[in-house]
Amino acid sequence: MPDWQQIVSGKLSGIALGPDEKSQVLEELAGHLEEDYQSLLSQGISDEGAIQRALKRVDDWQVLKQMIESARKKENPMPKRVTQFWLPAFLTLLLSMVFLAVIQMFGPNPWITPASGGRLRMTPVAVVYVSWLLLLPLVGALGAYMSRRAGGSARTVFLSIVFPILPYLAFFLIGLPVALILDDHVAHNITIPAFFVGLSAWVIFPAAALLAGGWPVHFFASRRLISSRSAGS
Amino acid sequence: MIGTGVKKGTAELAILSVLENGPLHGYEMARRIEEQTKGALCFSLAGLYPMLYRMEQRRWIRGSWGTSSNGRRRRCYRLTPAGRKKLSPLRDEWRELFAALRRLAKVSNA
Repeated sequence: MPDWQQIVSGKLSGIALGPDEKSQVLEELAGHLEEDYQSLLSQGISDEGAIQRALKRVDDWQVLKQMIESARKKENPMPKRVTQFWLPAFLTLLLSMVFLAVIQMFGPNPWITPASGGRLRMTPVAVVYVSWLLLLPLVGALGAYMSRRAGGSARTVFLSIVFPILPYLAFFLIGLPVALILDDHVAHNITIPAFFVGLSAWVIFPAAALLAGGWPVHFFASRRLISSRSAGS
Repeated sequence: MIGTGVKKGTAELAILSVLENGPLHGYEMARRIEEQTKGALCFSLAGLYPMLYRMEQRRWIRGSWGTSSNGRRRRCYRLTPAGRKKLSPLRDEWRELFAALRRLAKVSNA
């Protein structure tokens, strides 16, 4: 009797499955061919004829190989956009908000500039949570890692990293101008320097901190991906 | 003889239906389907296993190794609760399709 497992193994050589999965598939298909062969023999067909007819049940082994590889691939329960962008983005937003809230409640105190008694009376005041800024690179790194691991492009990774500052950016670009026009309680003497100081404290510095942690992670993860691809080819 | 496109669409229904009566391994499943449809649906090895693996990924069926009646190690598939749940709407869909085709044929003949 032919060694069906060896025959199938030869026909499907190079199939892209894990070792355990591959041996199971080969054994299963070999078992099917063996049953077919035995059935053909019992119909009075010669040994050689039965082998040939059993093997002819598969028109193209290469096509079968590809179909099995594609069928055994795990179907991702979440769409790519969710794993590459929304999940890392909302995680970075949540973490940065939680860190900020904890720091505001339990300290340390923010750095307020300029210090009281400064020379320029009209210099705009900025409240900078330095300890929060120091934590943001970790948040950015986590967002970049998750997005890159899910196969996110450079643009998606970037947006996932800076997502936590988008609400502040929206406030400075949309919320504040709209409030100036519509709300009488908002001081109308906000100076341009005050606007930029606020923008720096809540948008530019946090974005830089997030990117300082996230972008190196993206860079190294991309390099690892390229080197593993070239090693696999 | 039923064409390939329709056969592809009916394959899932055929596999789920034949497994409703109990677990079977691939070869037995193909033979049972061929017998019960009087040869209208024939599964080759190349058509059957990718379909089984895909249905297993969707958790409609579950495969496990066991020993067949002739003492050989075979992978038997059984219907999961999710597969059983899927069977009923699938049957309804096909019933509706056949009813629609029957109505269409009558209109065409009139």
